[in-house]
Amino acid sequence: MECRQANVLIHEYLDGDLDELSNQHLQIHLQGCEACRRKLHEFQLAVVYVQSTSHVHVSADFTARVLAQLPTPTKASQFSKWLRHHPFLAAAAVFLVLMTGSLTASWFETDDTLQVSSSNLDKLKIDKERNVVIVPSDVTIEGDLVVRNGSVEVQGQVQGNVVAIEGKVFKASTAQIAGEAESIEAIFDWIWYEMKNIGNDLLPVTP
Amino acid sequence: MEFVEKRLMERAKRGDRDAFAELIEIYKDKIFQLAYRMVGNRQEAEDIAQETFLRVYANLQTYDESYKFSTWIYRIATNLCIDRGRKKRPDFSLDEQVEGTEGLDWYSRLSSSDKTPEEKVVTQELQETVQQALDQLAPKYRSIMILRYIEDLSLQEISDVLKLPVSTIKTRIHRGREALRGRLQFR
Ligand SMILES: [Zn+2]
Repeated sequence: MECRQANVLIHEYLDGDLDELSNQHLQIHLQGCEACRRKLHEFQLAVVYVQSTSHVHVSADFTARVLAQLPTPTKASQFSKWLRHHPFLAAAAVFLVLMTGSLTASWFETDDTLQVSSSNLDKLKIDKERNVVIVPSDVTIEGDLVVRNGSVEVQGQVQGNVVAIEGKVFKASTAQIAGEAESIEAIFDWIWYEMKNIGNDLLPVTP
Repeated sequence: MEFVEKRLMERAKRGDRDAFAELIEIYKDKIFQLAYRMVGNRQEAEDIAQETFLRVYANLQTYDESYKFSTWIYRIATNLCIDRGRKKRPDFSLDEQVEGTEGLDWYSRLSSSDKTPEEKVVTQELQETVQQALDQLAPKYRSIMILRYIEDLSLQEISDVLKLPVSTIKTRIHRGREALRGRLQFR
């Protein structure tokens, strides 16, 4: 075997790719060739040097600094986070709301105005007369679209869930919704929807 | 680990910042390490690591879940490092001429087992020499050598991160080893 050929095998050997037969050929060459033996050893050393570089650590306030730069969270996500941290309180709150018999009172700031939560508000069209939020056919909305006190008409694409609280979700034939489309027609359902999400989060998903 | 990351991703996707903070905690040192070895400078490496996590956050909704999270984040970080290096190219070539002239007898230094008072200095010097040898590699080789030998990724994982065939990764590792051997100037 020539040294050039041996060099190819040396690299394969270092990658753990060498089959038994080629390995034998290489060993025979190495026994008779000092230069290739040296080379193999130097490759191994180069790798050890790179591996031995000390592990560097990022500064202690790194995570806090990144978090401080994130965009402010939406109402819906703040609410679901609150529920996640206080599941028992949330259950108690549902109970309390039922007991007082006033489903619409004081749980949310209750007004009947149309509310929209989306990261792409500028791309949405709003039909005030019909109280409908429209995702036009040439538009892609990133993330969830949540509408309260109105309906949603999806003609274009939504990359998250579409939720209409106290309203309906209408899908045009051109609509593409990556997540789920849900209409929630009472506050109680809305709470149930959030609770269900928490459940999803706690239960392992079977692949 | 993969399962934990998947759950954290799903929570982060729904706007849960605590979940995102946990993902940062898991990956911050790995990503910083990659950036530091790519650019050779703490401040710049922190900027790149920070930018990596901000991009991850901005793209959570479009994340393709058939990818491993680690593959995705390494890909974002590697691309940022290579872009950064491209802008700074003239500085690098100036350094090369100076550093290339050094001939250091690392082999004998490492193999001598006596502990000298200068041992710490020698270790420090070795670190710098390895960093210089890495700096002198072209970014497409440097990134692969770092992913393979510092981040400890398999050839298949590197192929996923860079979206290049395993055969290409192997060829570059071979060339990378040849170049490092030359740069470290063993005797
Ligand atoms: Zn030979």
